[in-house]
Amino acid sequence: MINVYKLGQYTPGGSCVHKMHPLSKIIVVIALSIIIFRAGAFVLAAVGGFLAAIMLLSRLTVKYVLKAIRPALPFFALLFLVHLFCTGGTPIPPFPLWHVSITYEGLRQGALLVWRFVLLVLSASLLTMVTSPSELIIGMERLLKPLRFLGISSSDLAVMLSLALRFMPALLEEIDRIREARLARGADFNKGSLLKRTKAITSLAIPLTLNTFRRAEELAAAMEARGYRRGPRTYLKELTMAPLDYIVIGAAVIAGVASFIFS
Amino acid sequence: MNSKKASLRGMVYASMFGAMTALGAYITIPLHPVPITLQSLFSNLAGALLGGYLGALSQVIYVLLGVMGLPVFAGGKAGLGVLLGPTGGYLIGFVVGTYLIGKIIEVKEKPGLTRVLFSMIVGHIAIYGLGIIQLSVVAKLSLAKAVAVGVIPFLAGDALKIIAAAVIALKVRDWIKF
Repeated sequence: MINVYKLGQYTPGGSCVHKMHPLSKIIVVIALSIIIFRAGAFVLAAVGGFLAAIMLLSRLTVKYVLKAIRPALPFFALLFLVHLFCTGGTPIPPFPLWHVSITYEGLRQGALLVWRFVLLVLSASLLTMVTSPSELIIGMERLLKPLRFLGISSSDLAVMLSLALRFMPALLEEIDRIREARLARGADFNKGSLLKRTKAITSLAIPLTLNTFRRAEELAAAMEARGYRRGPRTYLKELTMAPLDYIVIGAAVIAGVASFIFS
Repeated sequence: MNSKKASLRGMVYASMFGAMTALGAYITIPLHPVPITLQSLFSNLAGALLGGYLGALSQVIYVLLGVMGLPVFAGGKAGLGVLLGPTGGYLIGFVVGTYLIGKIIEVKEKPGLTRVLFSMIVGHIAIYGLGIIQLSVVAKLSLAKAVAVGVIPFLAGDALKIIAAAVIALKVRDWIKF
């Protein structure tokens, strides 16, 4: 069984980073990602220092933060190797051996690229470690407000996100139930020909899809019965922007725009 | 169509399919060389069953769930960094591909297996196309290398999933009311 409560990386805390408005934290992460893509080695080191400072401020342990990049590591390693072996330039002795060659340029380019991606993943993970999912939804609703010019309402999106979040544990249970029912009848997902495996997929996905639609319908009916209507809504916990938030947003926007223009 | 777009029921369906696509990352079926996960199966189903607009909306929800930090992107990754990183193009491809699938299927009242299969192949071309473009631009790889890393390992599994998705869509669609 997949542990539902492990989904998400939020660690509660009372630090000043935790208490900031989610919108300003999201804007900082967006600015950082622009900077990371445009910057050279020196600025990248500075960004690393900045992230380490945030980590200390929000009292997260190094071990916990590093866990966030682990899933991405194999792919990063692959990218590094591709660059290492496939970039032309001055070969590092004892290469070239046979037809294989490693160059200084490849080593530098690969290392810089992987460092960039590690910083990118770290900055986003830090955001989700210090901001609860419901706060993030509020922040995203604020951030996506301009989408209304495209005819998409950001408050609708926020409601849909909360619904999806709320239903993931239920769906996980559903999947487990179907899987166990199949196992009890002697089905095996790990063996058999291609045709058998395709059938195994459909035998899992058809009941899941039908049950999901039934649940969704019940939920929609329940919401209608309670008078839900679309449009602006209020929150259980209203968040307000502090002066610090405006300063942080201003600094992030300036830094982002500056790095976009100057590098 | 317009009533479908605006209905609360459609909204709930879309968020459900967003959640299902997210959970698809956790249902793996072993296959060589790369094990299959069911994300793209559910994204294809969303397009085929919900139509273009709601299908695309469900994938936007999926991407936003991941951006919020739930480990729902392939391999348990999460965060805005993934969307902007080398593999982020596939996620944008999910949104665009699902929209195309829905639009191609919506043309006919009761599309047959061929049309459904065709739409899903078009959808996958969109997913791969956008995925490779971002992979080669962001990771500074040539297009050929990007194809070797980002398309070829997944082809067999995706062919299997397209067939499964089309079969499921045809079996399930009569049970869904808007």
